[in-house]
Amino acid sequence: MIKKYVLISFILITMLVSACAPAAVQPTIQAPTSPPAAAPTQAPPPQPQPTAPTAARLLRLAHSWGPLKIDPAIGSDFAAQSMMVNLYDTLLFPTTDGKLNPWVADSFDVSSDGLTYTFHLKKGIKFHDGTELKASDVVFSMNRDLTIGQGMAYMFVNRVQSTKALDDYTVEFTINKPYALFPQTLVRLWIMNEKVVKANTQAEGQYGENGDYGTTWLLTHDAGSGPYKVKEFQLEEYMLMEKNNDWWAKDKFVPNAPDLVRVIPIPEAATLRTLMANRELEISDQWQSADTFRSLEKIEGVKIATFDAVTMLYIYLNTKKPPLDDVHFRRAVAYAFDYETAANIDWPGTKVSRAPVPMGVPGANPNLTPYEHSVDKAKAELAQSKYANELDKYPVTFYWNTDVPDTQKYALLFQSSLAEAGINVKIEGTPWLTLTQLASKAETSPDAWPLYLNADLPEAGALLYQRYDSSTQGTFFQGEWLGDKYFDEQIALALSEQDQATRFQMYADLQKYIMDLSPSLYVFDQYQKHAYQDYLDWPATKGTVYPVMGYNQFFAFIGVNPH
Amino acid sequence: MRFLYFFVRRFLHSIFVLLGLSVVIYVISRIVPGDPARMAVGYQAPQWVVNNMREYMHLNDTIPVQFFYWLRSALSGDLGISLLTRRPVIDDIRQVFPATLELALYAGLIMAIGGIMLGTLSAHHKDKWVDNVVRVFAYMGIVTPAFVFGIVFTLVFGFWLNWLPTIGRISPDLTSPPVVTGLMTVDSLLAGKPLIFIDAVKHLLMPSIALAMAGLSQGARITRATMSDNLGKDYIAAERALGIPERQVLWKFLLKPSLIPTVSILGLDIAAAIGNAFLLELIFSWPGVSRYGVRAMLAKDLNAISAVVLILGLAFVVVNICVDLVVGILDPRIRLSAQRNE
Repeated sequence: MIKKYVLISFILITMLVSACAPAAVQPTIQAPTSPPAAAPTQAPPPQPQPTAPTAARLLRLAHSWGPLKIDPAIGSDFAAQSMMVNLYDTLLFPTTDGKLNPWVADSFDVSSDGLTYTFHLKKGIKFHDGTELKASDVVFSMNRDLTIGQGMAYMFVNRVQSTKALDDYTVEFTINKPYALFPQTLVRLWIMNEKVVKANTQAEGQYGENGDYGTTWLLTHDAGSGPYKVKEFQLEEYMLMEKNNDWWAKDKFVPNAPDLVRVIPIPEAATLRTLMANRELEISDQWQSADTFRSLEKIEGVKIATFDAVTMLYIYLNTKKPPLDDVHFRRAVAYAFDYETAANIDWPGTKVSRAPVPMGVPGANPNLTPYEHSVDKAKAELAQSKYANELDKYPVTFYWNTDVPDTQKYALLFQSSLAEAGINVKIEGTPWLTLTQLASKAETSPDAWPLYLNADLPEAGALLYQRYDSSTQGTFFQGEWLGDKYFDEQIALALSEQDQATRFQMYADLQKYIMDLSPSLYVFDQYQKHAYQDYLDWPATKGTVYPVMGYNQFFAFIGVNPH
Repeated sequence: MRFLYFFVRRFLHSIFVLLGLSVVIYVISRIVPGDPARMAVGYQAPQWVVNNMREYMHLNDTIPVQFFYWLRSALSGDLGISLLTRRPVIDDIRQVFPATLELALYAGLIMAIGGIMLGTLSAHHKDKWVDNVVRVFAYMGIVTPAFVFGIVFTLVFGFWLNWLPTIGRISPDLTSPPVVTGLMTVDSLLAGKPLIFIDAVKHLLMPSIALAMAGLSQGARITRATMSDNLGKDYIAAERALGIPERQVLWKFLLKPSLIPTVSILGLDIAAAIGNAFLLELIFSWPGVSRYGVRAMLAKDLNAISAVVLILGLAFVVVNICVDLVVGILDPRIRLSAQRNE
């Protein structure tokens, strides 16, 4: 009887093994040869290794997938922005130092009152379906953003008064008050093909006469003119993009730019390690633990890219509730906290923050004196606080986000650091949904809570406004409830100043002002980490880093070498 | 005929179970803190966008009114729009459910064949070394979570041996066959693509075995216990005394009645596998309904949560009815008893 079972088992195992031929997927697959590419001219792509491409180059990368939203009026996270950069074109293209290069627009003029911006478009730019990109498409894209109001549209809502096509190649924006960063916001205006969107719009939807405004179709398709176009999109599974060989700026493709780009949701750490080791994934996501990155670094051929994510870990302090309504108490907290230890908990190599905005953001003030861990200074500030003699009555409650378990470590560090200065801290874990709900009112907003925030625009003023202007109170951008009139007036003035040098000086002064008020702890400037294969030429790994979310994964500039 | 009536009645009862389940999950999902409209449109969106979304989703109405709207649409096959994916939930479910169903079916197959085979082997060699080996194996299978097997399999067969693919349903360089059933293995055969079938089976092996381990082990132990119990019964001794060959005694007279508890348990295990596959779907990047459901819960995607729970409930109901059917076939006494009770 045993023999029979052994025989059956043997047959089963043989069947299994026969089905298990090595499954490694080659990173290049046979396909038509890429067109010859000329040297890049404008934006700064890397110096690629010259190779003679004979097969389709495949770039596979992992991204957060919540799910991946590639509709320009809806997607706003890192994954979405990284895809839109590749699927769509914008009027202007950011540079690594926060300036702007001509892109779809050759040039633009600003009226003397700073309210009208006129852009002159290049001729002959084609969308993926071959239709020519015209000023009317820009108008359509802006109006669609303003109507839907999601994604990055907040940059235009309540700011753009009208958008007009003066002729096929001239578009005019009128804004309701001077805003010097308006051209910068246009790196988030993805120009859509009006004809294609309208052809794929469902009559029924929440946008009145615009039906669904193409939102259903655009979940899995693109209507852009960018260097890549959507080839396949399987919900929950992957998105496959192919190179747009008719891209108007095809001379900017590096010679070994990928022909196909496959994006997958973040796999579990063990799976990620296997994919990287088997060379089935070229770029990992950035959300892996420090341990996982250490483990990935040991795999032959895998490297770790570390670059400034223009993101900071803030700890918000509610300035409207005792004891944190007292500036000396807040300063005491700022001095008591151990920044160096915090910076090395999960992100070794990151730098302790030196200003209210990350140093990678143009306009950050590098000349400030940041708070440093000093129990003596903390006690000295505490002594000046009106709560000095009744610390027991006013414990500080720190809410950590249970959806991001690592934030508990910062809660514990906060507790132990402040205990040294004699401040009593209670810790509570709270889900993100509850946290945002609590933060919507000053009375319920937590005493202290941590949050990673990144700059949506390449200027310090935009982030300062988002963080501390009274209009953002009650949102997750501002848990401090600062409500400072002087700041509100000065940031409005700065953002309307057309001269960049003057504007940057105003930002610098405001950062000093905010530091003195100490409404937040500036813990560290987060460094984004990705594991990547050594056969990639990825500019971001060589110091060519864009201070705008998403642009560091502009695939036209990333080379995939044979290996 | 009465037997059929019995099943129709069971099915009608199930409708009330599903209705009750939907009420409970609907209320629970709506009283959890957090504004789903705000979650859907993003934190930067102006308040009027949130208000529009609330209006569009009927979120300003009372919970009973909201439930009425939802139920009215659900009865006509419209489960609403997902706040997360922005698509009709029914389309999302149609896309992700077959992946999990296929995984659960293969896991069920492995559970049933493996569990019954190991259980029979163990009972036949009761208290001998074979029995002891199966016992240890079964205990390991029961106490070890499926995701641990998933990780171990990934490391062994994906990383070290590099025999099996570690993510997805088919290899990236293959084109999916036209969707007929949504089950990749079936659709590939229907399309006459044996290579895709083999590739899909390779992708299924690790997750389905990992998912099956607990049920397989449980099935082995239950089969062994029931068979051992039945071995000592008089009718077995009588059959042996009548000179019926041992093989026939084992397979025909001993195994069949011993399978009833195993089938009942395996049925529940298979239904549970659909909901429990979450971590495995994460490990193997499997585009299934479990992962979709968990993400919907984290994002407070109300319509998607209700739909996923409803689907899982429906799976339990259908599997239970199937189990009743199989048990009725295996044991005529149960079938006859059901008929008598009508």
